[in-house]
Amino acid sequence: MRWHTVPRETLSLRTFDDELVVRNGATGSTHLLQPLAAEALKLLLEASNGMTAAELAARLGNDAEDGAAGIAAMEDLLSEFKRLGLAEPID
Amino acid sequence: MIVGDLEGEALARLLSGPGLRLRTGPVVTRITSPLDDVAHGVGLLYRDHPVDEGFADFHVRIDRPAGLRRWLKPQVQFRFDGWPPFYPLPGDQGFPILEWGMNWCVSTTCHQYLIVHAAVVERGGKALILPAPPGSGKSTLCAGLVHRGWRLLSDELTLLDPGSGQVMPVPRPVSLKNASIEVIGRFAPQSVLSPTVHDTLKGSVAHMKPPVESVHRALEGAAPRWLVLPRYRAGAQARLEPLPKGRAFMHLVESAFNYHLHGRGGFEVIGCAIEACDCFEFAYGDLEEAATVFAELADRP
Repeated sequence: MRWHTVPRETLSLRTFDDELVVRNGATGSTHLLQPLAAEALKLLLEASNGMTAAELAARLGNDAEDGAAGIAAMEDLLSEFKRLGLAEPID
Repeated sequence: MIVGDLEGEALARLLSGPGLRLRTGPVVTRITSPLDDVAHGVGLLYRDHPVDEGFADFHVRIDRPAGLRRWLKPQVQFRFDGWPPFYPLPGDQGFPILEWGMNWCVSTTCHQYLIVHAAVVERGGKALILPAPPGSGKSTLCAGLVHRGWRLLSDELTLLDPGSGQVMPVPRPVSLKNASIEVIGRFAPQSVLSPTVHDTLKGSVAHMKPPVESVHRALEGAAPRWLVLPRYRAGAQARLEPLPKGRAFMHLVESAFNYHLHGRGGFEVIGCAIEACDCFEFAYGDLEEAATVFAELADRP
């Protein structure tokens, strides 16, 4: 399954060190993303064709040792993004 | 004209008649009340504040609710444009209910500002913002700092102006509760305190008169420079610990009364304030030690 963020213009972003504060204009909610989630959201924003959990995990340094566990962690993170209205599946 | 120019019974007559148009920073409140303790509190704690004529932003009244109860167990009622937003309180709480009501007026209507529930003081043109929940020692720290060289902007309401990014003052009496009343009485014996009112919803309450310089400079804003989350802990050594800016941002969001009304603009206002601030958590157990720490902070390049 591929994922992309909601339209970029919906989101307001501020980076502080390695954390990211994001306001979702569609919900009016503001969230503080820890470094991993912050990096994942930035990568999704840059990906014009969206990304799968496996692609996202690889870009974030998932290696053979992390394997399926790393991909599962990304799936959980993307589900959390969906719950917050920050990202959604493409298909 | 200032409130202190109204001699003798003139203030009480104004309050019980056409009303006192009291300027506190950017807002004017027309206060009417027939109650002696309201007149006494206003005369004592707003002595240096300007009296305006003409337009008033808020029209408030403190009086006793009608009915038999006013004879048996008197109460006081706060009215805003004739409407009571709160339940009545016991009869000796006339001045506290005026103060709480005036806070309510600003926090629920002055949406030209992004309003944060935080004390704020200034030194050298730079604002120190102190957001914290009740019981954290925020107002005590604020009262202490204004007796050690800091200018009072507010002990409750930090008004961030979206246009300039500055904090606008609304200098009014500082609300002290329970043990803090005695702490400030000892720390700053020259401070002017109202009589203590006991058994309020917040415990025992007294108000401290704002320093005259803070009142005179009530239209002079200050640039956000420090954001500090204070926490009083008996016996704690006064110490600043760095606070990550992302967390500081979220504290301001959660402490704001009207962040949601400002939309993307509110996000930008808070973002700019946090960018400009050094952010800390601060534990303290002694007010003099705390004042020393903040004096050193202000002197850092």
